[in-house]
Parts: sequence; structure tokens; C-alpha cells
Amino acid sequence: MRSFFRIIRFALQSMMRNFWLSFVTVSVFVLTLITINSVIILNVLANASVKSVEGRVQVTVYFTSDSSEDTVKSVQGYLLGLSQVKEVSYVTAEEALANFKLNHQNDPVILAALDEVDGNPLGQALKIRAYNASDFPFILEALETPEYKPFIKEKNYDNYESALKVLSDFSEKVRLGFLILALFFGFIAILIVFNTIRVAIYVHREEIGIMKLVGANDWFVRGPFLLESIFYALIATAIMAAIIASTLSFANPYIVAFFQGVDVDLVAYYTTNAAPLFGAQFGILAFLGLGTTAFAMRRYLRV
Amino acid sequence: MRRSLRSVRGPPSAPPVESLAPLGWFDAAWYNPIMITFKNVTKEYPPKTHALAGVSFRIEAGEFVSITGQSGSGKSTVAKLIFAEEKPTSGHIHIGDWDISNIRHSDIPILRRQIGVVFQDFKLLPKKTAFENVAFALEVAGESSKRIRDVVPHVLKIVGLGEKGGRYPRQLSGGEQQRVSIARALVHRPKIIVADEPTGNLDAITAREIIELFTRINDFGTTIVLVTHDRDIVNGLHRRVITLREGKVASDAEKGKYLLA
Repeated sequence: MRSFFRIIRFALQSMMRNFWLSFVTVSVFVLTLITINSVIILNVLANASVKSVEGRVQVTVYFTSDSSEDTVKSVQGYLLGLSQVKEVSYVTAEEALANFKLNHQNDPVILAALDEVDGNPLGQALKIRAYNASDFPFILEALETPEYKPFIKEKNYDNYESALKVLSDFSEKVRLGFLILALFFGFIAILIVFNTIRVAIYVHREEIGIMKLVGANDWFVRGPFLLESIFYALIATAIMAAIIASTLSFANPYIVAFFQGVDVDLVAYYTTNAAPLFGAQFGILAFLGLGTTAFAMRRYLRV
Repeated sequence: MRRSLRSVRGPPSAPPVESLAPLGWFDAAWYNPIMITFKNVTKEYPPKTHALAGVSFRIEAGEFVSITGQSGSGKSTVAKLIFAEEKPTSGHIHIGDWDISNIRHSDIPILRRQIGVVFQDFKLLPKKTAFENVAFALEVAGESSKRIRDVVPHVLKIVGLGEKGGRYPRQLSGGEQQRVSIARALVHRPKIIVADEPTGNLDAITAREIIELFTRINDFGTTIVLVTHDRDIVNGLHRRVITLREGKVASDAEKGKYLLA
């Protein structure tokens, strides 16, 4: 116990007295964490954007003009029973016509064609939103049942298919891209932390030898250096948390404004996930620090 | 072998001699007539360097022995073997009753806490004060903080640095740094002090003061092994001299002189 407290004291003393070395090490740790957090933030923003675009995609199913409202309502109920479906809204024939006119108000040819036709050529419709854009093919496939198929005049499935495919491919690629980016920066971070600690231990190599010659056992020599690397990780994580808190509280309104309508509250994201996010960052730094310290010290302990 | 403090008379310029008794010197438990034994010790460094070739000698408790020889004669290797910085290629080394020829890595700290070591380059921890450097030798051995607070200032006084405990090594002269290193070697009441060229970085006057400090420590009963190539120091001591030449014992004489090659 006495030795344990001495080891803690030596670690703190060494950090204070080797101020510049400590400063450089903590700075490198913080820079590493800034890189990692940048990737995390970009990933959150990209995911939110993709989700938001996916959320806006809707498929409209037009029914034949002779379909009864009951039929359409029963299809609506059937669709709402599917777990992939988020929302199904009912559109009357009149609303469908009004929407159509609105959507094509700059296209005089189509509007003229519409005037040629007697009455309302459009039937009732259902607008479907799904939780995931990639679920649309399944949902539309579900409407192919013999019970409902005769009443369905048109699904704008074909028109959306390529867009949906592009979008879901894009979101997959964004995730994969960020995973690769995270791994790449993670690898660089490991190298930086590894080398910084190796340099720090190299600076102390003579002292390690001296401690051994005066009768210190391996753990007494190793202890303060291992603890130091944990303290560095702790300080760096705390500084990073402070940087994130101050930067986001300033920038969050601008980010929210920039991604209009997209749910990207980074402050809320960091607040709800603070423990796992910063816990993991501290854990990774501490683990790297401990491993590298132990590895780098091995040869200097052989005195 | 045991001498009283009154028998020690340092020169007028020497720092005041403090009593070693409060440190618990002269414990019967560590009194052993034969302190160091080298039996046919050989040390080779690959590929083909023979630092020592069949060296044998015995050093009794309380002796002051100078080990001399030219560069490359193997004298520093003897020091390194005694505090287990190196292991012999063959032969046996005993410290007291303990055969350290094949000492386990984990036992080396225990050995070193019983041997004080002084080096030419002082080997002080640069980021620790003189007090902390001396205290470190006790802290590694798990001594209580109270005892450290009691003993360290006392030992610093013995080496004449009573007022300079708060200074860092860079704030001390070479001679003062060597005194700190001697205080560190003394503080855990070692049976043996091994000094490897302790005066190599010091001017002649400071060197003489350091050697006087060693003779005084020896007067209190601690075995001293002084590795040096300084002829004046060896000749001025009038103590036992083991001379090494090309890794072998060339001579071993009571009240010896430095032999010219």
C-alpha cells in the first residue's frame, strides 16, 4: 500500500517536473482525439442527412377510379399492419387532382391535356412512407396480392426504384466510407500515441536504469510510467470533452440551421452518449498508453 | 574491525563527521567474516572478448580494497558482477552466503538494497532533489516515510550536504553530486559499498575529499570496494590492492601500491 501511494506520488511528480514532455504528450493525445471526434461528428451528420432524405421519400399508390373508398381504406389498414411502414395517408380523387395540377403548374402541355379529359382522370391514392427507403421494394411487393392488385392502377414504384437504390447504396457507401476513414485515422492515432510514448520512455531511459541500480524492482520503476500514461489519457479526454462542449454549444445552432429540417442535434447526441463515447476514447488511449509503455520499457528494465 | 567514532580524525577541511549510530550500523545480523568471494570467475562478451579469465579472490567484512588496472583490464566488470549488472559466464560469486552467480531477475533488487553503489557519472535522478535522490533508495525498499524523514537528513549531514537537500543535481557541483550519490549508497545501511571510478569526473582536491569520506565510512565497518585507475589515490590509501591485467589477477597485496604495467 505504501509503495502504491509512492508510485502515485512519483507519477504526479514526474508529470509536473517534466512539464514540457507531459505537455507534448497530452497535446498529441488531444490531437488524436480531435481526429477521432471529427470522424464521429461527420458520421453522425452523414447518417442524419441520409436518414432525413430517406424519411422524405414516399411512394404513391393510385387506385382505379372505380375502387371504393372502403377498398382503399382496407389497403391502408393492411399497409399499416406491416412493420416496415411508418405512415400511410389517404388522398381523395379531388386532392390527387389538385396535387397533380400543382406539381405540373409549369407544364402547359400536361395541363392542356388534363383539360381535354372529362371529369377527374385520377382516382384515390395512398401515400406511403417507410422507416427505411430500402424497405420500399418489399412494401410494394406486398401490394401484389390478388386481393388488391385489380384495384391498383399505378404504383410509382418504377419511377422511384432507381432513386431509392441510389439512395440506399449511397447511405451504405457513406457508412462504409466513414468506417474506413475511422479505421485509417485510428491506425494513425495508434502510431502517434505509440511513438510519443516511446520517445517519452526513451528520454527517461537513464533514470530507469538508475532506479534499477538503486534496488527498485521492476514494478516500482514501471508503476509511475504506467500511471502517467493513464493520467495523460484522462487529462486528454477531459480536455477533449471541454473542447467538444464549448465548440458544439457555439456551433450547434449554425449546424442545425444548415441542415434545415434534419434532426442533427449534436449537443443532444454527445450528452446522451457522453459516457460510452468519452469512456471509449479514454479506454482506447489508456490501453494504448499502457501497452506501449510496457513494451517500450522492457529493454531499459534489463539492468 | 569495529571502531569507535572517536578514533576517526578527518583533516580540518573535511566536513563535520556525524555519528552513523542512529542509522543502526553494526547490526550483528549482517556481520559476516567473508563478504565477497570470486571463485574462478570468467566473463566473456560475445563474440570473443574475455573481460575476466579465471579471477579468484576473497574480501573480508570491513576491508577497504582497491581494484586497479588499466582500461580494459576488467576492473569495472568486477564491480558490475558484484551488484549483478552482469552475470559471470562461469565461476561463482558469493556475497556473504548468497551465491549470486545465477541470481534470479526478481532477486536482483533485494541484493542491490544491501550493496551501495557509487559511479563515476554519479547516476542521480535529474528531476529529483538531493533529498529525494537519497530517499529513493529507501522508498524502493518500502521504508516508512517517518524513518525516511529521520534518516535522510542525517546521512546528508554525514556527507557534508546538510543544507543542500532541496537542490536538484544540476544545482550542485560535481563533488557535491558525488556526495549525494554516496549518501544514497549509504542510506540503507549496506554491508558493502562498490565505487566504480568515483573520482573520475572530479578534480584532485575534491577526489581526495571523496576518498576520505570512503575511508571514514569504512572506519565504521562497511566493506568498501573501490575500482579506480588513479595511481595517487591508490598509493595514498595504504590499503589492500588487487591489480588486474588482461582479465586476470596480476597481484593482490595488503597495503599495496599501484603497479605500473
